[in-house]
Amino acid sequence: MDIREWAVRFSEASDADPAIGAMARYFTCSYLFDMGEAKAIVEMVDGKIYRINISPAPMDPYDFALRASAATWREFARPIPRPMFHGIWAASFRKDLRIEGNTLALMQNLRNFTLQFELLRRVGVPV
Amino acid sequence: MAKHSPVIGRYVTFDVDGCEYKVFYLQNGQGVPLVCQHTAGCHNHQWRGLLEDEEITKKYNVIAYDLARHGKSDPPLNKDWWKEEYRLTADHFVNFIVAFCDALELKDPIFMGSSFGGNVALQLALRKSDRFRAVIPVEAAANAPGFFLDVWRHPHANAAQVCASGVWDLMAPQSPERDRWLTWHYYTQGSEAFRGDLYFYSVDHDMRDSLSKIDTRRCPVVMMTGTYDYLTPPEATEKTASGIPGGIYIEMEDIGHFPMSENYPVFRVYLKEALRIIAEKTA
Repeated sequence: MDIREWAVRFSEASDADPAIGAMARYFTCSYLFDMGEAKAIVEMVDGKIYRINISPAPMDPYDFALRASAATWREFARPIPRPMFHGIWAASFRKDLRIEGNTLALMQNLRNFTLQFELLRRVGVPV
Repeated sequence: MAKHSPVIGRYVTFDVDGCEYKVFYLQNGQGVPLVCQHTAGCHNHQWRGLLEDEEITKKYNVIAYDLARHGKSDPPLNKDWWKEEYRLTADHFVNFIVAFCDALELKDPIFMGSSFGGNVALQLALRKSDRFRAVIPVEAAANAPGFFLDVWRHPHANAAQVCASGVWDLMAPQSPERDRWLTWHYYTQGSEAFRGDLYFYSVDHDMRDSLSKIDTRRCPVVMMTGTYDYLTPPEATEKTASGIPGGIYIEMEDIGHFPMSENYPVFRVYLKEALRIIAEKTA
């Protein structure tokens, strides 16, 4: 799956997710998925994906970033991830995930971001 | 059609270290008292499956209390508690549990707790081995640094959601979605106490140098940890148990840091084994 196809699938899955939709209002932030070989900036506005930048330039802004090796992102995308690859807290405590930037923005949107991150188990990753 | 549960709830008032506490507890069963401590920032409803487990409550008097400042147990009635930052200490936690057991006149209870409740179970085994028949530290370790974080009650974020979603991936993805969301729901209700509880969990609790002093002939220790627990991963619990002379470690497959709450049918299999071992050792 190339990153363009991934962006379409991720957008569709997120915008249709009922648990995100149940508390979508004010879910507004932007974040970078750094998967090593692929990068994307996801921009959320009121619970919907406004845009996914699949070729971010060095100065393109975002609130926070999740950076890990491609191998770790592939682990995130298993239907049932193995222990310590089953979430951003687990992987940042025990594996090579780094969470950088304005982490307060992450915390302000943590409920919905967590649900969105787990969509990778259904959508897959482009690495 | 209405259906009543056999579980009953009561309040009991007692003093601990100069604090007057009115404590709420749930109870069901008969036989050996099995006293249960919820996890940090949560309340006794995490033990709902155990409290209604007919097979276990036939032999065990299951009692699950809300620690002061949690659930229906208020902060100290005789203190201006809102004028101080809450930080739970090992001394106060131990004294609270002993005072609660005294208040209920429990004879030789088994104590079981998860997470910070598991860590205090280790403290009880060390300090109060004459008071408890055995302890079952669940998701526990000799020390558990790294979770005493300011973000749990940052005024610029929704603390209820931060705490509830912050512990979300302490649970295993295999655990039923409904039970994981119930655990999330409980965690939205305890955010003000969570950080203060974690002072004990991540800072004040450090038994790395005292594990060898635990006397398991007087108070057997059966530790259990789930494979999806990233805070106290299985290797941390196994290492702790191996440092306790006679300590026993049971690894729980495909479950996380809130086993009694996130997947009780899986947890009960391991719990029954722990209770069997304790019955054998204390016969």
